[in-house]
Amino acid sequence: MDYKCTRCKRAVEIDYQYTGIRCPYCGNRILVKGRPTTIKTLKAE
Amino acid sequence: MDIDILELSDRSARFILSDVDAAFANGLRRTMLADVPTLAIDEVNIYNNTSVLYDEQVALRLALVPLLTSFDEFTPHEECSCEEGCPACTISLTLSVEAPMGEEKTVYSGDLVSADPKVKAADSNIPVVKLKGGQQLVLEAIAKMGYGHDHAKWQAGVACGYKNVPVINIEGCDLCEKCVEACPRDILALGEESAEVVDDRLLNCSLCKQCVEACGIDAISVSENDTSFIFTLESDGSYSAEELIINAVNTIRTKASTLDNILGEL
Repeated sequence: MDYKCTRCKRAVEIDYQYTGIRCPYCGNRILVKGRPTTIKTLKAE
Repeated sequence: MDIDILELSDRSARFILSDVDAAFANGLRRTMLADVPTLAIDEVNIYNNTSVLYDEQVALRLALVPLLTSFDEFTPHEECSCEEGCPACTISLTLSVEAPMGEEKTVYSGDLVSADPKVKAADSNIPVVKLKGGQQLVLEAIAKMGYGHDHAKWQAGVACGYKNVPVINIEGCDLCEKCVEACPRDILALGEESAEVVDDRLLNCSLCKQCVEACGIDAISVSENDTSFIFTLESDGSYSAEELIINAVNTIRTKASTLDNILGEL
């Protein structure tokens, strides 16, 4: 799963072995999950 | 059965339905609300949505946009021979909007582009979502024909109701004017010999009977006509008010005919 750092906007791979979540480039701890490239089908109701 | 049109505009109508019983009037009201099929967005394929709204929220908002519907060109999805949707019961609409960098842009229902030029949003100014600069909303919406009893998005009539035509009798009036003062809708006025109903205001009577209570000598009586109804209806825009009435009556006729056939086979 791709995440993006909210500060430096770079794509971040999360190392699950590491106990915390942190951007390896800028150290920011707020990361957002990227939208998948697949088409999402929804029931509109 | 007799119909007198009082007001008729594109989206609303008011008429007097007479020589029918309350069951028929209520049947007509319920048919307009629940049994006249309309088109509404039922499935959404989201290609990209970077707006602040969730995909599900965007889909729901799109579903509630009334679409102009041609009654004869589409078949309700549940009555169609196909299972997954075909051109007879579904139609595709696309939406692709991106806000320019540094500017806000509101996505409106009018931004939906239909594969059939006859099918489009009944109102083009319904806001769907507000995009900040650089945000994007790209999707394909599949509209299906359905019934209001399945979901409110398929409800063509939005404000359908009726009331009995009021009957006001005045006998033995002593011209005290109390009933005229008590009437909140200014339906009564003092005539030369007794209080009278003002011309063309009878239908505004709400049957509150405050005039009856105000009259000290029981000269005035207010009752309802059991076979005449003042019908008010409003369409959501998928049909004109006139089309909605005609389609509702046709639906009742079809159902009655089906019931007749079933009973005939017994």
